Formats: sequence, C-alpha cells, structure tokens
Amino acid sequence: MMASADVTTAEPGITTATRPAVTPRKKRGNHTVVGIVAWILGIVFFFPVLWMVLTSFKTEGEAYTNTPHIVFSPTLSQYRTVFASGIWPYVANSAFATVVSTILVLLLATPCAFALSLRPVRKTRDVLFFFISTKMLPVVAAIIPIYIAVRNLHMLDNIFTLVILYTAMNLPIAVWMMRSFFLEVPGELLEAAEMDGARLRRTVTEVILPVVAPGLAATALICCIFAWNEFFFAVTLTATQAATVPVFLVGFISSEGLYFAQLCAAATVATLPVILAGWIAQRQLVRGLSFGAIK
Amino acid sequence: MAEVTYDDATCIYPGAERPAVDNLQLAIGDGEFVVMVGPSGCGKTTALRMLAGLEEIDGGAIRIDGRDMNGVPSRDRDIAMVFQNYALYPSKTVGENMGFALKMQGVPKDERARRVREAAKLLELEPLLDRKPRNLSGGQRQRVAMGRAIVREPKVFCMDEPLSNLDAQLRVQTRTQIAELQRRLRVTTVYVTHDQVEAMTMGDRVAVMRAGQLQQFASPTELYDRPANVFVASFIGSPAMNRFDATAERDGIRIGSVLLRPSDAQLRAAQGHSKLIAGIRPEHLSIGDGPLAVEVALVEDLGSDSYVYGHLTDDRAGHVIVRSGRQHPRPGEVVKVAADSAHLHLFDAASGLRIVE
Amino acid sequence: MTAIAPPVATARHMRSPAERRRQGWVRRTPLLPALIFTIIVTQLPFLLTLWYSLESWSLVRPGSQHFVGFANYAEVFQDSQFWTTALNTVVMTVGTVLIAMVIGIGLALLLDRKFIGRGVVRTLLITPFLVMPVASALVWKTVMLDPTYGIVNFLLRPFGIGHFDWLSQFPLGSVMIDMIWQWTPFMMLLVLAGLQSQPKDILEAASTDGARPLAIFRELTLPHLRRYIELGIVLGAIYIVNEFDAIYMMTQGGPGISSANLPFYIYQRAFLGFQVGQAAAMGVVVVIMTIIVATFALRLIFKTFSGTEQAA
Repeated sequence: MMASADVTTAEPGITTATRPAVTPRKKRGNHTVVGIVAWILGIVFFFPVLWMVLTSFKTEGEAYTNTPHIVFSPTLSQYRTVFASGIWPYVANSAFATVVSTILVLLLATPCAFALSLRPVRKTRDVLFFFISTKMLPVVAAIIPIYIAVRNLHMLDNIFTLVILYTAMNLPIAVWMMRSFFLEVPGELLEAAEMDGARLRRTVTEVILPVVAPGLAATALICCIFAWNEFFFAVTLTATQAATVPVFLVGFISSEGLYFAQLCAAATVATLPVILAGWIAQRQLVRGLSFGAIK
Repeated sequence: MAEVTYDDATCIYPGAERPAVDNLQLAIGDGEFVVMVGPSGCGKTTALRMLAGLEEIDGGAIRIDGRDMNGVPSRDRDIAMVFQNYALYPSKTVGENMGFALKMQGVPKDERARRVREAAKLLELEPLLDRKPRNLSGGQRQRVAMGRAIVREPKVFCMDEPLSNLDAQLRVQTRTQIAELQRRLRVTTVYVTHDQVEAMTMGDRVAVMRAGQLQQFASPTELYDRPANVFVASFIGSPAMNRFDATAERDGIRIGSVLLRPSDAQLRAAQGHSKLIAGIRPEHLSIGDGPLAVEVALVEDLGSDSYVYGHLTDDRAGHVIVRSGRQHPRPGEVVKVAADSAHLHLFDAASGLRIVE
Repeated sequence: MTAIAPPVATARHMRSPAERRRQGWVRRTPLLPALIFTIIVTQLPFLLTLWYSLESWSLVRPGSQHFVGFANYAEVFQDSQFWTTALNTVVMTVGTVLIAMVIGIGLALLLDRKFIGRGVVRTLLITPFLVMPVASALVWKTVMLDPTYGIVNFLLRPFGIGHFDWLSQFPLGSVMIDMIWQWTPFMMLLVLAGLQSQPKDILEAASTDGARPLAIFRELTLPHLRRYIELGIVLGAIYIVNEFDAIYMMTQGGPGISSANLPFYIYQRAFLGFQVGQAAAMGVVVVIMTIIVATFALRLIFKTFSGTEQAA
C-alpha cells in the first residue's frame, strides 16, 4: 500500500516552532528616482498636445494673453466654428481613403508576406529588398509623372487616387511587418497541422491566422496612422471633392487666419482619431513600430 | 576559499503564500563541495541566488567567511557563478569573456592574458579563445562558462544546474571533470541540480530541499542509508525506495499479511507509533523464497541487472520494485519475494520522520 | 527568428521538373499581386521622371516639351539654391536623427526600469509620434513658438529670453524642434526593443563578475544596442530626408529658402514654378543620393532582421 508522505522539518525529532512572519525586505525593483525623472519627461513630451487641447477650449481673448492662462472658463465655441466650417466631408474622405487603402494593403500584403516567409521562394531576399527600396526613394521625385498621369486619366481630385497611392505607400511596411509575424509561427504548429491532415486553406485559417491576428491588427493600425496623416499626395492631387483632413487643416488656417484657439480646436479634431486609436491599441502600435520585436 | 553559512536565511517573494526559501540553516566548510537538490520549486536555485546576491535576503543572514552579506552587492562578494544557460557575453570573444571579471578588477592586460591562458589550458579551450559564443557548441559554451568562473580564483563557486542543457553522454563526462576540477582547486562550491544522481556522485555533502525547506543535509552515504524522512528516502536512490503502510506489533512490523522482523532496537523504537511507513530499497528485496507475493507487471532489463515492477497480490495498489539479476521473471508471473529486514527503514506515518533507534 | 522548414512534404525524388516548376509558381502566386501593383505604381513614375529630366517643359505652356539632354542637370548643379537646400537637408536630417536618437536612448533606459505608472508614461511618450505632422507643425508654429503668445517664450522668460521670434531667427531650428519632438518616440521604441531583448542572466553574470552598472552599460548593453541604434538612425533618416509637411506648414521654406529642404524645393519648382524638367532632374539627383545611403540601410536591416544575432 502506497503511503502519502507528509514532510515537515529537517532534523528528526525537532518540531516546527512557530516563527515570526517574515516580510520581504524592500519592494523589489521599484525605482523611485527613475520614476520621478521619467514622469517629468513624460509630461514635458506630452505638454504640446496637452496645451493644444487646453487652448482649444478657450476663447480667443483667453488664448491671446501674454501670460498663458491655465485656469479659464472653457467654451465649446471654437469647436462649433470648426464643425460649422464643413469639416465632415473631409473627415469622410480621410476615413474612406484610410479604411479602403488599409483593407487593400492587408489583402495584398498578407499572401505576399506568407509567400516570403512560410513558403519561401527562391528570390525572397531580392523581393524584400525591392519592397523596402520603394520606401526609400523620395516621393518628390515621382510626384510629377504621377500628377501628369493622374491628370491625364481625369483622376485629379478623386478619392480613389489617394486610395491607390496610400496602398502603394503602405504596402512595403505591411509586407515587412506581416512577414515578421508569420515567421513567429512555430514550425511545429504547421507540421502538426499537416500530420493532422489539414489542407492548406484550413491550415491557414485555423492554425496560422489566430497566431498572426495581433500582427494583422498591428499592421492595420500602422497603415491607418500613415494614411490618415498623409499630406503631400493629398495636397498635390486633390482640390475640393477628395480633400482629406490634413488639407482641411491647411485650408482652415489660410481662410480663417491664425486664431490660436480656433486652430487648436481644428488641430485637435484632426489628430484626435489617430491619437485615440494609438492609445487604445498601444501594444499593437509598439509591436508594429519595432517590426514585431517588442511585445 | 571560504566558509559559507546560511543562518536561518529566508526569501519570500511579494504576494507569495509561502517563502521560497524558509529558514535555511546550512554550515558549509572551506573547500567543501555542497550540492543542493530537490524537485522544481523547492527553493534550491533561489537559495543559490541569495548567496550570489541576485535575490534579496528577507530574513536571517548569509555569511561568507564570517562576513554578513546583507546589503553587499553581487559585485563585491567575490563569488563566481556558472549559469544554467551559461550567460556568455555575446559581443565578446571567449578570451574576453573569461577575462572580463579580471578586467573589472583592474588586473593589467598581461596578467589577465596569462591567467586566461592557464584556465583555457585546464579546460582545453585554447583553440577557441578568439571565437564568439555564437560559434560554439553547447559543450564548448559550458566549458567557457566554467573557465570564466575558474579564472577568478574566487571565494565561492556557485553553479546553477550547469549540466542540464547538455546531452546525456556529455553530461556524464562533464560531471567527472567538474568534480575533479573542484578537488584540484579546492574552492568552496555550492552546486544546484534537480538530478539526484549528480548530487550523489559529486557532493561532499548534499542538502535535500522541498517547498523551501531543508529536509536533510548530510553526506551521500548518510542520505542513502539513513534518510531523515520519507521524502528524502523516496527522492534519493533510483529506482525509488519501496514504501508500504505498516503497523508496529509486539513481534514485528506488519505489512498487510506479512510480518517482518527488524532489529530489536528498531522494533522497540517503533512501539508507540500508531501508524508507520516501512521503506525498503529494491536491492534489499530478492526474488526467491519469501513472505511477499508479487504479481509482475513489467521488467526493465538494464543489461547488468534488471528491475522487476509489480504489485502485491493482496493489494493491487501496493507497488513493488525488486532488483534482480540477469535472470528475471516475466510479466504476469507471480513470484515470491524475500525482504532483508536488516535494511528496513521505518518512518512515522503522520510526520514522515525517521524513527530513530 | 528561426528558419521554418517548408511544410510541403512532397518527397523530393518524386518531383519531376515540371512538377517542381509548377510548385514554384504555386508558391510565387500569392506575392505577385502585391509585387505587380507596387512596380506599376512606384517604378513607372520614376522611369518617367528620368525621361522628363531630359526634357525642357513648362506646365504653363502646353506643348513646350522638347528634348534637351543633360541641360537640366547642368542648371541644377549650377543652381546655388539647390546646394543651399541640399545643405539644409543634410543639417536637418543629421541633426534631427542624432538628437532624437540620443534623447530616445535616454528615455528607453528610463522606461526599461519598473516604476509606478510606467505604462502611463509610455503612453505619454508615444503620443508625439501619433500627432498628424501638419497639426504638429501648426501647434509648434503658433501656440508654442509664437514670439508674443507662445508658451515656450513664456517659460523661458525667467531665463531672460523674452520676445524671441523663433521662426524667423531659427527657421531651420524651429522645424527641427518639431521634427525631433515627433521622431523621438520612434527611436525610443527601437532602443527599448533592444534593451528588452537582452537576456537578463547576462546582466546578472556581469554583476557577479564584479562590474558596476556603468561598466555593464558600456561593455555589454551598448554593443548589444548597436544594431538597434543603427537601424533607428537609418530608418529615421530615410523618412526625415523626405520631410515635407512640417516645412510646408511652419515656414513655407522661408525666410527665403533658409528652412527649405530638397523635397520642398523640388515641390516649389514643380508646382509653383511649373518647371517640370528641372524639378525632375533634381528629383533624379536626390534619388541617386538616397540610393547610396539606402544601400547601407538595407544591409543593416537585413542583418538585424535575419536573426544572425544569437545569445550564447
């Protein structure tokens, strides 16, 4: 009959006397000086954003003071002005261009990255090389032919022009990022799936996609950020119909003039979606920016 | 070379229910090779890291050469540590890895090179001195990790499962090398492992730990012949000791329908304990004419001898392991087994402690 | 990253050459859409730019196109404004990248330690990167750096700096402040990735080997970080060389061209001066310069992300 052994102390014959409870000597690893410095720097770096938002709730009189006011009575009048100046079409354009181009990017980049990682082709390095080289060449050098071509195709001031260009702009980044996420799929997972008789499509949907889903999210987020914030193509290739939020911002200033509180409201509205998205999906953002290195 | 003392040393992680190391009491002599062994989570690695200064000492004290190490950072303890994954500096060559500590001490370049060469010769690392760790095999990296420790001539060697990442054959080879090296250098060594074979073959004394608490600190022979409690008895020795529920009677120890006769002193000491655990090692059971009836389930033939696994016929849960010679019964057979009562271990069933005669 | 063995288990000896070719195409197909799309949208324009650079063409006068060979290039190299803006580009790029990297390393070192509210601080520090570049430039131009009502001057008043006109006195510097502010988070995150990828037991080993924290940083951490720092510098440089939004919004390149970089100058020539040929020629020159830098960049990126670094 097997016995269960209940073991207590070391030396036979010595019973465990009650000892005073021991508490950890100091809180492990919490550095206070580092923390204080980090907080100060964090606030310093964040300050312009904070100031922008604060100013957006001021009246112009409050904003134009020699001594900046921290305490003031907030007003929504600036925001009302911004929204009354017809920002919504611009927001719609930006949203459309951002979402559609990102979807296109994911549709094109995912199989491409798949081919470059899990089913390597012979010229993998060259293809990757090519993709990233397109990011390195200055856009200014290509804008003239693009402008002329777009004009000849009667696609000026057309939102789809931006969709296509944003897709091309983000594709290299997406391919690189998705590839790094695909490479993280453990080889054994794929072999196990194959031994379980899974065909390619099922392997992809049930084994691979769950593992790379956060990577997809990170890539999508980065693409959205770059597309939403893009200015150069928007300003050169659109006018009234397809203009996006960055173009609105520039137009708002030139037509309304430099009214601080007003322009802060406009700037806040323009930049808020991306900031919020970045905050909420911070993990994804950090992952994406470091190409999958920081989890 | 130095004495190392754990004086009621305790380490508890914030938020943990019980201490990782619970009032550890160990006195390690100068030049002694002590092995800390136990299952995962028993606290042996934490205890080692407390000595090295990599974990906080929350209670009690740790002394090296009489000097209290509380508040003394790792770099000032003069301890050389060999890590489980070797922790070689990737951006430095083997030679630079080994000379790093000397560089930190301010030892001049020529003497550094000389001492590194000496240690390299000892470990047959000379042709590898200019290589980077990523170009080394597992066994080579392990030797570099050892070399890095040896070069320093420290007060204490701390080794955290240095053999666990090697393949079986290399492990056996390196085991003997480490033991020989330590005997030659005579540096106080504290060695952590989960492998009780390593513990038994390498240590001058072995500390068996479980759940943060020290079970027994003694020489390998003492641990084997006189385990202090049931845990040590089962942990040390492979295959494990047979354990049976037993009771003490006037004339002997009763296990099921069998009555065994230990020494008079043992029997006398056993009286008064209501329930016992009787332990006997497989090599002290023999197939032949004896009181126990065992149905054979499986036989492991190791070449030189074999181990017969089965259970008592009158108790299916009573597992038995018997050592046998080259001739052995076959699975399904029922054999009679004799027990050498002179090697019977008795433990109190409630406390698990050895019954001392 | 580990090399993943292709899971296709067809035994090699059973594949005929035709079968192998078919397999090759099966593997290639997924990447073709992206590849073809990119080639059409990005490479064709460059070829056209090359062609335009050899023509004299003003968009204002349609039909004025005619071939002039390398005349545009000659003009470009003799254009003092081109060289001024080229110099501005170098100053802006090198300055922004280096300063952002140094600050980024400092911030990464801080964020690598545990302290209360570390997540919040990280959120705060990432934000500048998320802000729309035109919005950022706008905010810096007005609310921050305005001579009278900007808060920077207000905060510097105790130090004796009162009514300083940043944008006219330091046009390039002002643009750089905005860009450094926006790019530091990127550098910080890359360096942080490097710091967190360093195995902790190596740092412990150095500690037991007698190294003080500064020595550990110098001897172990910095060599380990080198790859990440190089990557940050190269990637950052590539983006910053092409910076356009901030200059457009903050200074329009002025006063004069003192804060214009090459991309902005080319834009001015093409869209404000309508001189397509010369703008194209300048574009080509910039492309060539970028290719030289990019070659180093690509080699670096491949070294970092092909997983040649292995811990011992």
